[in-house]
Amino acid sequence: MDDLLTAVALLALLLLLLGSGLWVAVALTGVGYIGIAAFTSRPAGSILASTVWSSQAEWTLVALPLFIWMGEILFRSRLSGDLFSGLSPWLRRLPGRLLHVNVLGCGLFAAVSGSSAATCATVGKISIPELTKRGYDQRMILGSIAASGTLGLLIPPSIIMIVYGVAAEESIARLFVAGVLPGALVMGLFMAYIAVWSLLHPKKVPPAEPKIPLRARLRALRRLLPVVLLILLVIGTIYGGIASPTDAAAVGVAGALLLTRLAGDLTWAVFRDGLLAATRTSCMIAFILAGAAFLTAAMGYTGIPRHLALWIKEMQLSPFVLLAALTLFFILLGCFLDGISIVVLTTAVILPMVREAGIDSIWFGVYLVLVVEMAQITPPVGFNLFVLQGLTGQGLTNIARAALPFFLLLVLAVGLLMLLPGIATWLPTEMAKH
Amino acid sequence: MRRCLDSLYRASLVAAALSLLLILGIVLLQVIFNLIDRVMQLSGSTPIGLLIPSYADFAGYLLAAASFLALGGSFRAGAHIRVNMLLRRLPDGARRWAELGCLSMALVVACTATWFFGKLTWGSWRFGDVSPGLVAIPIWLPQSVMTLGLLIFTIAVADEWYCAWRRHQPAYQLAEAAAEQALLERAGGEL
Repeated sequence: MDDLLTAVALLALLLLLLGSGLWVAVALTGVGYIGIAAFTSRPAGSILASTVWSSQAEWTLVALPLFIWMGEILFRSRLSGDLFSGLSPWLRRLPGRLLHVNVLGCGLFAAVSGSSAATCATVGKISIPELTKRGYDQRMILGSIAASGTLGLLIPPSIIMIVYGVAAEESIARLFVAGVLPGALVMGLFMAYIAVWSLLHPKKVPPAEPKIPLRARLRALRRLLPVVLLILLVIGTIYGGIASPTDAAAVGVAGALLLTRLAGDLTWAVFRDGLLAATRTSCMIAFILAGAAFLTAAMGYTGIPRHLALWIKEMQLSPFVLLAALTLFFILLGCFLDGISIVVLTTAVILPMVREAGIDSIWFGVYLVLVVEMAQITPPVGFNLFVLQGLTGQGLTNIARAALPFFLLLVLAVGLLMLLPGIATWLPTEMAKH
Repeated sequence: MRRCLDSLYRASLVAAALSLLLILGIVLLQVIFNLIDRVMQLSGSTPIGLLIPSYADFAGYLLAAASFLALGGSFRAGAHIRVNMLLRRLPDGARRWAELGCLSMALVVACTATWFFGKLTWGSWRFGDVSPGLVAIPIWLPQSVMTLGLLIFTIAVADEWYCAWRRHQPAYQLAEAAAEQALLERAGGEL
């Protein structure tokens, strides 16, 4: 009982500090320190130093700044324009027409960038004005772009998967591979919804533009081809076990630099800004990971996760009920916390309990990322909503309402993932065979 | 004083960026070495086993150095995330006190971390700890760079605290606002 009280007190303190605007990494470290100092007899300071040290100098973590950098380079290139002009000629005849550009464009950009907000901003920057000009339904435009942007988290390379992998000590290569099929599933669900909606509301869809001959369509696609090849190279070498994620990330950065150089976009300013932005972002995430590693150690010393795991075991919940409860909890948490915080808090406190319940931790990583995707489009704290507010000047609630059907589709995807865990685990198992 | 501090943050951020560049170089070189080996293997000759000794260790230590050296500059650039939803709704006076409260807590954490990390580095130096790989790198080397980074971070937090105390807007707050503004302008230009 005491433990439960301690746990609740520490968690409440953490949420209070986070909510009052304290920097996430600082809050994690502070609560970890208090946890050790107040509830154990261990030396909090030296534990702080040693866990921070061992969490930072890590080969697997080297993939993080490199993938961030790759995204930053392509984010600054002309890729967003190429995405629209390359994809749109192919989608004119589908029910839903150019709305599918949002989903496919985000899916493609997600495969070069690991960030949800960057994906949303890059694709939205071009597609929102283009679609609005053509008279597509504003709500569908906003909803599909807000939700598809979150694919940046699921489709490899994904920054948040690296964070989970490092914090949970799981293979990042397997996590990446596990995200491929669920990513395709979510894209499929979004596109199916757009198609069905368009068939039901034919008046809200502008007429089809004239058909473009195949050769012209292929030529429009040509500008996208190098990026697609880069994606296949990066993900393919990871899947084939030829390269570690870190190696693949380095090749990705080199490829991205080469592509922007060939396109004539690589000025000194672009190079410098991309590198500095990557330095800052990866510093921010590394700082959070350091705080999270310390909090995890602190939690371990207080014994809270172990007791929580035992408590769950005694309740004899089925994994399904446990996951359903966790999903509700995460959706609630996602309204107020950002994705990275949710992931590191989960690995610090909840992961032992999940493992105790016999849930595969690769599968759980994919599940967690899907739930975090929902958090990106729930008000009041949903980063994609902020991005779209910035892009369009529309109110937050408006955008959130537009994204609601897609939010429900993500819930459906989580349900499917629970019923058919193979969606996430099949590919990594196949990968392990060769 | 102001210019002196700004160039300190700038210099450490640039050093961090250069570390990232160096990491890219090391990893790419090793990838090329692996490729050469693979090609030789396929062409029937015995691979020569080209290897940058302890490249994983070097890359890891460089990353730790980069992450910590960038702390101060990133902090002032508003890159460290936080939930400022409630803070933004506060009137100016209350906001100042709230920011001072956050900065005070950050200062305590930064001082504690710097002190104990410095102690850890001192211990590694005294006991002559080295990395386990092929090349025995003394681990006080990366650790002292990290301590330096934490020290610069502590200075940056103290700097911002003093700034808020003197009723100026801290740099991170300005940067947070500027980032939002930039996003709006970017959208405005396109739409």
